[in-house]
Amino acid sequence: MIPGHIVLIISLLYFALLFIVAFYADRRRRQGRSLLTNSYIYSLAIAIYCTSWTFYGSVGRAATSGLEFLPIYIGPTLMAFTWWFILRKMVRVSKEQNIVSIADFISSRYDRSALLGAIVTLFAVFGITPYIALQLKAVANTIDILSNPMALAPDQLGGLAAKIPSYIDTAFLVALVLGLFGILFGARHLDSSERHEGLVVAVALESLIKVISFIAVGIFVTYGLFDGFQDIFQRFFEQFPERQNMFRLGTEQTPYTKWFSLIFLSMMAIMFLPRQFHIMVTENADELQIKKAMWRFPAYTFLINLFVIPIALGGLIFTAGDISQADFFVLTLPLSAGHKWLALLVFLGGLSASAGMVMVSSVTISTMIHNHLVMPILLRIKLKGQDFSGLLINLKRLGILGVVFLGYFYFKIIGDSYALVNMGLISFMAATQFAPAVIGGLYWKRANRKAATVGLCLGFALWFYTLLIPSFVLSGWLDKGILEHGPSGIELLKPLELFGLHGFDMYTHCLFWSLLFNIAAYLTFSFFAKQSATEEIQADKFVNALRSDRPSPTKLKRLSKAPTIMEFVELMSKFIGEKPANAAISEFLENREISSRGTLSDHEIPKLKTFTERTLAGYVGAAPARIILENYLSTRGSKMEDVFDIFGSITISHASSREQLSVLYDTSQLVASGNELKDILDNILQLLSAQFKFDLCVIRFLEKETMTLTVKSQQGMSSVHFGQSERNLNMETYIGQAFLSNVTAVVNDTEFLDKPTSAEIIYREGITCFAHTPITMEGEPVGVLSAFSRTVKGIFTKEFIALFENIAGQIAIAWRNDKQLHSLLEVHEQEREMQIARNIQISLLPTNIPAMEKVSVSGLCVPAHQIGGDYFDFIPREESCFDLIVADVSGHNIGSALIMAETRTFIHARADNIKQPAKMMHSLNRFFFDNMDCSDLFVTMFYLQYCPNVHCLTYSSAGHNTPILWRKHKKRIELLDADGLIFGIRPEVDFEQKAETLEEGDTLLLYTDGIIEAEDTQGEFFGIDRLGKLLQECDALSPQETIDRIMNQVRIFTGLRHFNDDITLVVMKALK
Amino acid sequence: MKDHQGDSTKEAWILCLILGVIFINFPFVHIFDNDRLIFGIPPLVLYFFIGWPASIGVTWLFVKQINKESAANDEERME
Repeated sequence: MIPGHIVLIISLLYFALLFIVAFYADRRRRQGRSLLTNSYIYSLAIAIYCTSWTFYGSVGRAATSGLEFLPIYIGPTLMAFTWWFILRKMVRVSKEQNIVSIADFISSRYDRSALLGAIVTLFAVFGITPYIALQLKAVANTIDILSNPMALAPDQLGGLAAKIPSYIDTAFLVALVLGLFGILFGARHLDSSERHEGLVVAVALESLIKVISFIAVGIFVTYGLFDGFQDIFQRFFEQFPERQNMFRLGTEQTPYTKWFSLIFLSMMAIMFLPRQFHIMVTENADELQIKKAMWRFPAYTFLINLFVIPIALGGLIFTAGDISQADFFVLTLPLSAGHKWLALLVFLGGLSASAGMVMVSSVTISTMIHNHLVMPILLRIKLKGQDFSGLLINLKRLGILGVVFLGYFYFKIIGDSYALVNMGLISFMAATQFAPAVIGGLYWKRANRKAATVGLCLGFALWFYTLLIPSFVLSGWLDKGILEHGPSGIELLKPLELFGLHGFDMYTHCLFWSLLFNIAAYLTFSFFAKQSATEEIQADKFVNALRSDRPSPTKLKRLSKAPTIMEFVELMSKFIGEKPANAAISEFLENREISSRGTLSDHEIPKLKTFTERTLAGYVGAAPARIILENYLSTRGSKMEDVFDIFGSITISHASSREQLSVLYDTSQLVASGNELKDILDNILQLLSAQFKFDLCVIRFLEKETMTLTVKSQQGMSSVHFGQSERNLNMETYIGQAFLSNVTAVVNDTEFLDKPTSAEIIYREGITCFAHTPITMEGEPVGVLSAFSRTVKGIFTKEFIALFENIAGQIAIAWRNDKQLHSLLEVHEQEREMQIARNIQISLLPTNIPAMEKVSVSGLCVPAHQIGGDYFDFIPREESCFDLIVADVSGHNIGSALIMAETRTFIHARADNIKQPAKMMHSLNRFFFDNMDCSDLFVTMFYLQYCPNVHCLTYSSAGHNTPILWRKHKKRIELLDADGLIFGIRPEVDFEQKAETLEEGDTLLLYTDGIIEAEDTQGEFFGIDRLGKLLQECDALSPQETIDRIMNQVRIFTGLRHFNDDITLVVMKALK
Repeated sequence: MKDHQGDSTKEAWILCLILGVIFINFPFVHIFDNDRLIFGIPPLVLYFFIGWPASIGVTWLFVKQINKESAANDEERME
């Protein structure tokens, strides 16, 4: 026996040692020589898997059920084999997304769902907190065993906890110490994504103590108390021949189904228990360590299990087969052999096993509670304006203590019950429910939020019903009736034989049903529910995490009314404190590979938004971070929109002081204000000179025609020579140099000048220092921003120049905004002008052709675009004769329209003098040849004159499409062809003039090529034959009806409402 | 070349994983499930405590192979 106070002192000393080690690790980290780069520490820390439930319990299990203790360790060995693929992917994703817990992981994958995070957290609290109780119980029991071995009498074991004197409640003390330890190393800072090196190193040390102490006892029992493995087995079989089937499988105690279930459960537990996730994923310092852990961790479990059977058998031999205290054989064997120090070492091993689990679990679960339960509530309450980073860290500390003491009260209230003893496997089963959501989320893009939510809820409902309720019944807290007859006597719903499934142990039974429902819901909803756009992006990031050639899924977007860097920093400091926020932002800016100007482009602003969200996620969890950012942006009226690259090169400094940043901020506000360019420039200069006491600030822009820099805005002293004059572009002046070389020119002390031209003016004005910085747009200088001081020297520090260049960058944006605005206005103006042109052109066509006695004429002109090149005209002459003209100017642009107008003017002006078609054509050709030789346009025309009294038709053609004449009585189609060349090709062209006589009912159709070259979908032309036939069919119709009919048929033929070419039709019909 | 190598490692890995699952489950372990003693130790105990380190050895070999491949990849990239 070891006196109680010595045990306590040694325990406290041990904690002190852990504390020193942890403190040392944290210090090493601050010095940049992190201990976590050592891959042994990572592998050892993973062994947090071996809690006191396994440290003491393995031997107990081996003594009672034989091989049944093995699956708990074999499963993880098998799982470790997959780590290079699965665990590495989890680590990669978590690093990229700043994920801090398994709740965060699941919530992040599924659209950063706050609900999912809360569900996972709740289940973790329900499923795992009792497990903490088990650890506290183990520590309390072992302390009592060490200090009072007599208490070990079997009948007293159950009431052990209650027997402890009230003034030293061992478990309470242990809980307090572990809780404080958790706070010291888990929640000194708020950032949970920051690795807790101290904690991890302490856990690794604990793991080392665990394995050393266990092997020490193993060797002591095997080779000290006995004579090797063989001897133990031999003596055991001699003493208990009936217990030989302990080492068999497929027995009633350990059927193969249970064996399989236990292996599967432990495979899932090693990955998805919150504390395992924390150590393996969150605290992982380097992916390469996973490789080593893949075999080191299994080797560790192998070593710690090597002596489990000998110790168990040895214990049974010494206690004559009494299994009631089998859990503590590890401790009692050396103790009863009088090896107090060995017993003490074992005690420390067990203490380590408990302590590690309690500390990491409490930190992990309190982080989850904090991020997924407390934060969303806090955000809903909306503590406005104040910095609540301090509140948050204290809430988290409280959470750690809360979780540990929740475990403590659980232990006090339910004590030594079936439920508590089996809590290990029950919590394994809870962790297994996370598996579909996590693994599916990593490998299946379609898996979505609804699927995960429903799957998890169903899985946990089944877990609760088929595992937790039965264990409560077996602990005696619920009526046995529910197990025997089902709830309200419904046999089908018996928790241990759900839907009549019987013949399995409760773990297999629960595993089957919970996973069946979980996975079935997960698959079904994934197939039938849709993902949102943001979820798709997240899914892609998770599923393709390991692909090196992964295309960046973030499309180019920009933030409208984007907050400035300072605003992002302020937002962050509100939640995480000023210092960490500044540290985070400078890290971000460092990673940007920013230009030599030390600036950040506006393309980066959306990335900064993502970064801010990620950083916040590290402190408060992914879902709350998203809510924070969304609320913040929506109150500002900002939103993500597709890039319209106005702010292509907006630049913001990072190494500037507060006042400089505020100038920058104000500048950006001015630029974004949308005021007149002049006002913006004036205001920026006012700001500059007011803030930095410049005597003169000038903005000049390049005037392209004169190639001089012209003053656009000026602030401060006025001088003809200085602020107001233009500057020529040459290298003899500083301003010219700045513009031409596109590099800021700075003179911090004008006593040292090397450009005589500038020196003269500068000395006269008494300038002491000045700078010119080019205003550039897309790398091209467009102007210069200058500042002069008469009083101070050396104002232009490197940092200040960066600011100065930034302001120049913003001026460039204002300039470009202005230009874009003007070009927009211009386009608008042009469109208006086109409309006017169109109206004029339409007014040039004959609006109504007078009704005549012996002939009827109709015309139509449809331009393909706003304005066209087709033209027809009607000119009345004496004796009711008239001229009809159809012309086609190539093209549909302003040029065509002008030529058409010109043609019309020409014809109308000459019509009185030139009375014959051929002569008119001749002079038109002459006119075109003389005047239009430089244009690419050409004109075809058909000109006819008709005298209805004599029925005589004379006509000429300048290369125009031949009009179609329908002879009603002869029932024949004729084409009116006359020799003649297109206008303007040759100076002298003979235009043939032909004559025809029309009879009553004859119809003449004049047209342009738009109609016969109208194409159908196969590319076939409408053609002249079709047109002729159509005209024939219109025999009985009036000219206007004929035109309508033709237009309809052509539309049907092409299948289009609009035509590609201008269309003109003129129909003339001889009456009586 | 390297892809081919990487693929065959992956295939070997899947094969080993499947074998691992088979080796620790019914019916394979049933082979060792009997009353005889080998060196005075039940055959199942012996099987697991020999098979276990063997499987760790396989993992170790596998890790070595990944290291070799990534080193080869690095070299290729350097060239």
